[in-house]
Amino acid sequence: MEKLIETQDLYTDFFTFEGVVKALNGVSVVVNEGETYGLVGESGCGKSVTVRSMMRIVQTPGKIVDGKVVIFFRAEDRSRGIDILKRSETYMTSLRGDSISMIFQEASTSLNPVLSIGFQVGESFNFHRRAQMLEETIQDLEKELAARVFFLIRGWKAMQRALFRRELAVLRSYEAEIDRIDHELYEIENQNDRKSLHRKVLLNRRRDRLREKSFLVEFLKRFPFISYYQRRETKTVRRHVVELLRSLGVPNPDRVVDSYPHELSGGMQQRIVIAIALACHPVLLIADEPTSNLDVTIQAQIVDLIKQLKQTKISSVLFITHDLGLVAEICDRASVMYAGDISETAEVREIFHNPLHPYTQGLLRSVPKIKQADQLNTIPGTVPGLVNPPSGCRFNPRCPSKMDICAQEKPLLIEHSPGHWVACYLYTDGNK
Amino acid sequence: MSLLNYIIRRLLFMILVLFGVSLLVFSVLMLIPPGMRVAAYVTSEKIPPDQIEAMIELYGLNDPAPVQYFRWLARIFRGDLGFSATAEAPVIEGFKKFFPITLELVLYSTPLIILVGIWLGTTGAVKKDKPADHAIRILAIVGYSLPTFWLGLLLLMFFYGFLGIFPPGILSVKGGEVINAAGWNRVTGLITIDAIINWRWDIFLDALYHVALPTINLIILDSALIMRLMRSSMLEALGQDYVRTALAKGAPSRVVYHTHVRRNALLPVITISGVLFAGLMAGMVITETIFVRKGIGWWMARAALQLDVPAIMFNVLFLGLIFVGVNLIVDLIYAAIDPRIRLG
Amino acid sequence: MSSEVLTTDIKTKRPSGHPGWNEFVFSMKRLFKNPLTIIGVVIILFFVVLAVFAPILAPPPRPHNPFLMPHKGWQIQPTPPSAENPLGTLPSQYDILYGVIWGSRNAFRIGIAVVAANLLVGLILGSIAGYFGGILDEIVMRIADIFYAIPILVMAMALVVALGRGLKSVVVVLIILNWPTYTRVVRSEILVVRNMDYILAARASGASHLRILFKHVLPNSIFSAIIVASMNVGVTVLIAAALSFLGLGSDSGYADWGAMVATCRNYIVGPPENRLAYWYLVFIPGFTIALFVLGWNLLGDAVRDVFDPRMRRR
Repeated sequence: MEKLIETQDLYTDFFTFEGVVKALNGVSVVVNEGETYGLVGESGCGKSVTVRSMMRIVQTPGKIVDGKVVIFFRAEDRSRGIDILKRSETYMTSLRGDSISMIFQEASTSLNPVLSIGFQVGESFNFHRRAQMLEETIQDLEKELAARVFFLIRGWKAMQRALFRRELAVLRSYEAEIDRIDHELYEIENQNDRKSLHRKVLLNRRRDRLREKSFLVEFLKRFPFISYYQRRETKTVRRHVVELLRSLGVPNPDRVVDSYPHELSGGMQQRIVIAIALACHPVLLIADEPTSNLDVTIQAQIVDLIKQLKQTKISSVLFITHDLGLVAEICDRASVMYAGDISETAEVREIFHNPLHPYTQGLLRSVPKIKQADQLNTIPGTVPGLVNPPSGCRFNPRCPSKMDICAQEKPLLIEHSPGHWVACYLYTDGNK
Repeated sequence: MSLLNYIIRRLLFMILVLFGVSLLVFSVLMLIPPGMRVAAYVTSEKIPPDQIEAMIELYGLNDPAPVQYFRWLARIFRGDLGFSATAEAPVIEGFKKFFPITLELVLYSTPLIILVGIWLGTTGAVKKDKPADHAIRILAIVGYSLPTFWLGLLLLMFFYGFLGIFPPGILSVKGGEVINAAGWNRVTGLITIDAIINWRWDIFLDALYHVALPTINLIILDSALIMRLMRSSMLEALGQDYVRTALAKGAPSRVVYHTHVRRNALLPVITISGVLFAGLMAGMVITETIFVRKGIGWWMARAALQLDVPAIMFNVLFLGLIFVGVNLIVDLIYAAIDPRIRLG
Repeated sequence: MSSEVLTTDIKTKRPSGHPGWNEFVFSMKRLFKNPLTIIGVVIILFFVVLAVFAPILAPPPRPHNPFLMPHKGWQIQPTPPSAENPLGTLPSQYDILYGVIWGSRNAFRIGIAVVAANLLVGLILGSIAGYFGGILDEIVMRIADIFYAIPILVMAMALVVALGRGLKSVVVVLIILNWPTYTRVVRSEILVVRNMDYILAARASGASHLRILFKHVLPNSIFSAIIVASMNVGVTVLIAAALSFLGLGSDSGYADWGAMVATCRNYIVGPPENRLAYWYLVFIPGFTIALFVLGWNLLGDAVRDVFDPRMRRR
């Protein structure tokens, strides 16, 4: 299987009033093409921070302080990949929502209460597929102009078409320029001499400064009545939104498009959030505990939906959860995280049948079994605070198999058997 | 249905509060000895001292309070509000003369105050903890602490005294003559509007010239409130989850601020705009006194000094009415804008 | 095995002492990290010194009524700062420096009197409304709404007319008009606390309403009221000064900052050769008020920021 995205030794810190919270302690995750990858762990272990670092939307006061996030989205990138931590913010903005999308836990608060559903879903189309929307609008206008029409209306439509054409032309030249810049950046990606670094900075800055809008169009958009011409394009977008909602199983999409988030049920809201994420057919969908707040029946629906979509619209899914049962059901591979460290990574079957890391073993042991009659198993102790985390392996204070070296140095993630990685001194130097 | 419900409830509430206000004003009125209260019933200027007792009896000013209250209410509903010594005219006439002046200043200041406040508040939130933000916060706190009268006097001293521009008053002497002459068509009472109606641009500019400094004064003082509110409201909105969704969608930060955050942040500001408007009406007392603009604030100040009871009572009632009315309108606007209320 | 492993490696500072005190210390530390707080406190302390040491800094010529400003002569025209009158004089030769010093004592008297009385009234009424709820609550809140409906300055003017002029009236009037603010704050705090489990537990073990109110409810609700009080001192003094400025407060010659500002209305513009001649008159008394209010507002802002639950643990 081909790699799709990977993080290499990611360190993310939060600089708070009470001290520096070392949230990620060298996290390395690899997601392959076409697979569903699970990220499991207790609350506060850093799962959300990991994916937010991957998308570079870590909230202040957090900062990514070290490591790489490499993507292999295009066929040409297979050999090398692009380290997106070194790219400009505009590059990230174009990635987010287009190639990588994210859905969240609480759908009701994830939607803006004062904007309509149609507007919010339409934004995805307007940010990333505007050229396509403009083209379709122009085509529609051409068709209408070909028919016989009263001359004043004809004039209005012609003006609309002209303005859209102008916007499209500027947009196209902008995109061409961006492509050129990105291409050159890719060429010199791995060159780190002074000249290359300087060139990279220049290119990134230029990329950020490019204006993708025509001045005339922007000016007219702010004009009170003339700006109404934009409504034509809104109609096109609306068509796409309705279609998208229908394909996701939302009943009465025409009415839903005009309604507001608070008028919908929890399951429906989550579908809208998924719609927003899928509008542009992302390569990677990151799902941050999307079902944790829903009823079990709705949860099943959403999970089915995601499974279905994986076959049709998306390539890979990165699923974050603390529910091991869910992992068993839908994930191909999974990683177990603890306090900012990756403990173990393997195929799901391997994790359940052959857990190597003491933490994973403890987790699996603590799941109550049907025939269990005695006390529930727990892992003694509590999750440590991350301002002053335990040294070495962060699990060592609670580990039943703790050795001296565990508190001294952090264990590296090594491939114990093909495809099964574990970060534990029990499995180094020929132990076990 | 719930929108109608909401409106009806607010209307009923407003009526209740108005009655309460009238009761309150009346109780204050009752604290004043009857001898002074007689002034309300007189249509000429002075009452011969020997007749006071007789008049007190005549108008039942020694009757039990509830009786007087309803009598007083009835008089108000009939439109008989008494005679104001400071205005040298019946209270109603005084009101017609003075209110437009105040209204003019308030109408010019309020939108500017709100706009400046929103603009600076947004900038402060967007550039949080950068120098611009600190400067704005300091500006806001200083503006908030300045006494109204002090800033006005300082501005007058500097601009008018030292530089010779922006004189106090409503119009220059020449302008005043034009207004009071025969050819002047007094439609609204607001000088600037009337000037346009009368097609006298020189008067229009003159009035504008005189209204500039009080407006600047009010802007400095009151936009601080809006600034602080807008800033904290935006910061709060920025912490919400939907901002995270917008970012994950690939929205450029400009769009996030202007489309998503600002709309939500504006809601509290709208509520306070009502308070601002009504508060401005009240605060006019000091501003008009300093800049010698003869509006209801100026009238009120003089009435208080000269114990002109009818004028004071009327003004308090009127301002209470404005306050309640404006709050109602603001509530309605809020309901229209926030889809959560509009659609239940 | 498990418990020993647990305690050795976890390096947390175990806080000692009463949790309330720890919170207080934490709050104080947060408070003073903010430079604006320090400025505010310094300003307030400055005025406190002025007020407390007034008899020493500016010995009153008439010990039985120290608030009457001294004046040498009856010349109307104000004189600029000189060796004799370091800050200049008001019209009729009242010494500005004396007025500023004794004025701070006056301002504190007014401010503290009003705020203290309001706190008391607010606590009582707020407790009744919040704790007992029901129709008592409705009545109190409706009356508060009515008071809110009328702008303070205007109402204050009306009341002062009714009660007669003078500083005593001003104080009374401000107390009467400010009570809704405090009552509301106390009431909303109590509403939150009232539903907490420990209150329920106290009722279940047979404590009387009064006891619960005093021992459990009030100590937790009083904080917000104190915050509001500290923020309100500035505004109160401002309104009192405004009333004095309009002539509704003290008599002329009294060391009241607002009254001092009022005297300068005829002297905004000096003679043509020196149009800013009376700058000291316009600037100094008003600046004192502004500084005083600024100090309290800075402190109040900082206090509010520290105690705002959303920003507390950042």
